[in-house]
Amino acid sequence: MVDRLFAGIWLLLTLGFAAMARTYEAQYSYEPIGPRAFPLLLAGISAVCALWLLLRPKRVAETLAPLPDGGPARAAALIGALFAYAFLFEFVGFPLATVLVTIAIGRLFGGGWRHVALAGVALGVVLFLLFDTTLDVTLPLGALWRT
Amino acid sequence: MDNLASLWHGFAVAATPINLLMALVGSFVGTVVGALPGLGPINGVAILLPIAFALKLPATSALILLAAVYLGCEYGGRISAILINIPGDAGALMTTLDGYPMAKRGEAGVALSISAWSSFVASVIGTTGMVLFAPALAHWALAFGPAEYFALMVFAIACLAGMVGDSPVKTLLACVIGLALATVGIDANSGVYRFTFGDVHLSDGIQFVVVVIGLFSVSEILLMLEQTHTGGQVLKASGRKWFNLQEAMYTWWGTIRSSVIGFVIGVLPGAGASIASAVTYMIEKNLTDTEGTFGKGDIRGVAAPEAANNSAANGAFIPMLTLGVPGSGTTAVMMGALTLYNITPGPMLFKEQPDLVWGLIASMFIGNVMLLVMNIPMVGLFARMLTVPNWFLVPAIAAISFVGVYAIHATTFDLVLMTGLGVFGYFLRKLDFPMAPLILGFVLGDMMEQNLRRALAISNGDVHILYGSGITIGLWIAAVVMLVVPLLLRWRRNNKLIPMP
Repeated sequence: MVDRLFAGIWLLLTLGFAAMARTYEAQYSYEPIGPRAFPLLLAGISAVCALWLLLRPKRVAETLAPLPDGGPARAAALIGALFAYAFLFEFVGFPLATVLVTIAIGRLFGGGWRHVALAGVALGVVLFLLFDTTLDVTLPLGALWRT
Repeated sequence: MDNLASLWHGFAVAATPINLLMALVGSFVGTVVGALPGLGPINGVAILLPIAFALKLPATSALILLAAVYLGCEYGGRISAILINIPGDAGALMTTLDGYPMAKRGEAGVALSISAWSSFVASVIGTTGMVLFAPALAHWALAFGPAEYFALMVFAIACLAGMVGDSPVKTLLACVIGLALATVGIDANSGVYRFTFGDVHLSDGIQFVVVVIGLFSVSEILLMLEQTHTGGQVLKASGRKWFNLQEAMYTWWGTIRSSVIGFVIGVLPGAGASIASAVTYMIEKNLTDTEGTFGKGDIRGVAAPEAANNSAANGAFIPMLTLGVPGSGTTAVMMGALTLYNITPGPMLFKEQPDLVWGLIASMFIGNVMLLVMNIPMVGLFARMLTVPNWFLVPAIAAISFVGVYAIHATTFDLVLMTGLGVFGYFLRKLDFPMAPLILGFVLGDMMEQNLRRALAISNGDVHILYGSGITIGLWIAAVVMLVVPLLLRWRRNNKLIPMP
């Protein structure tokens, strides 16, 4: 069932992709196929695959493997934490963002509060010193703190 | 012997202090990553690649580092397979069958040391195979034109679709998704902006590192959330630490056989370490298991698959280095690493970058000795790493991955795009889509389109050029065979399992 739902969504995306690709045209052309042929070829294959997944008869009942307790909620929380890390990375700086994300992820993976807080500070500081100070890979200290 | 002279030169490159250090660091990190369940060579190589690039390592040193990680993973996978009955990476799955029973009998030390030894023997055979066959293949491939290249890439994709994952349609679709991601950005031939949605960050296309880290670090982290075991019960590696001469003789021919078979399977695109170890385990079982001891802690059942996965990893380098067409997910990531350095792998590589190629091959010999030394006396250290809890490990992986992506362009856009791709990859994996074809498609996308367009430009739009030479016809036939034969085998097996009423 999930497969067919995905295939349906994918078919729509493929159509959108093909519609965009159709508009690509080279102003000057000195080759027989322009910029849109390859994407259209891909869209064709993709559509056939999606139709196959959508319509083929199922021999075996296919469902997702059951998640452990509170699986979807924990996965959603982890996705949220990772996106927050991505957005905060430059804004509050690497050390603080890393402390926060370590606490959030560490809790999701069953660490105790004190453990994950210590781990967060350790990772934030040690990795910053290692990469930024020692290895010359510049990391942000945070746009927020600059006046 | 030309090759020997080149190899000698390669040793001079590999023996510089920085390259020795990279081989050492890579071997160590690789063994750790391989031992940790959930993380395999592709994750290790993906996470270290942007770091190596950010440290401004020269291309040769970066490649030596990544290759050492790859080989180290094939060693490391056996540690968790033997001590906690969970394969550390996919190639070590068969090792659990006899390795864990041996460990339960109190022979963990023997299992660990004999598997390290067979890994070593296999790697030496595999790397020697590279020295013997890679230059010849590269020489032959010099005659390839765009049409041949296009057909070769189709062949590589067909191999993957036939062999990886349970559903060829899903594998093919994963590959198409990768190819489609590669079309984002300015089209090199016409200057047309494709799929950029007017965003300047996308006009250069999607960064390779962003895709790789998204798919192999972020989505891996999400999958790790579902692992039920944490820390796990690690059996003590007590008793005899070394195998004895009798055991070495007992496993010798099985190791040699498995090394050679593993190497050949590794060279084939699509089939990697996991298929190699499964095939050789079955062969050894059929050939030598007269008393039915395989699966109950037979030492030969530990040596054979460990030999095979190492020589397969060596073999997998050959198509990547000589043809510029990687045959596995991990070598696809390495090829992407080379393109970051503006080096195009392919038949010219042996002529244009002899330092890189031969330095790499020589370093694999050196790294292998380092790995053997690390993996027998120091195995206890790696075993202890298996007890590192996930609440520390996962945030550390996340932080290092983000640093790697940020180091490339220093934009929040890349970080968000990487996270988004990781979540997308996570859902695809939940739906049983394999990731290796996706990354292969992404790496090959540009080359495939360019070769197709070049071929058709030569023929002025006539598609006959795509199957106009002996080589192209052979490749097309081989592609069809690789697609159809596994399907037929699977169909026969299914019909056997579900008897018709």
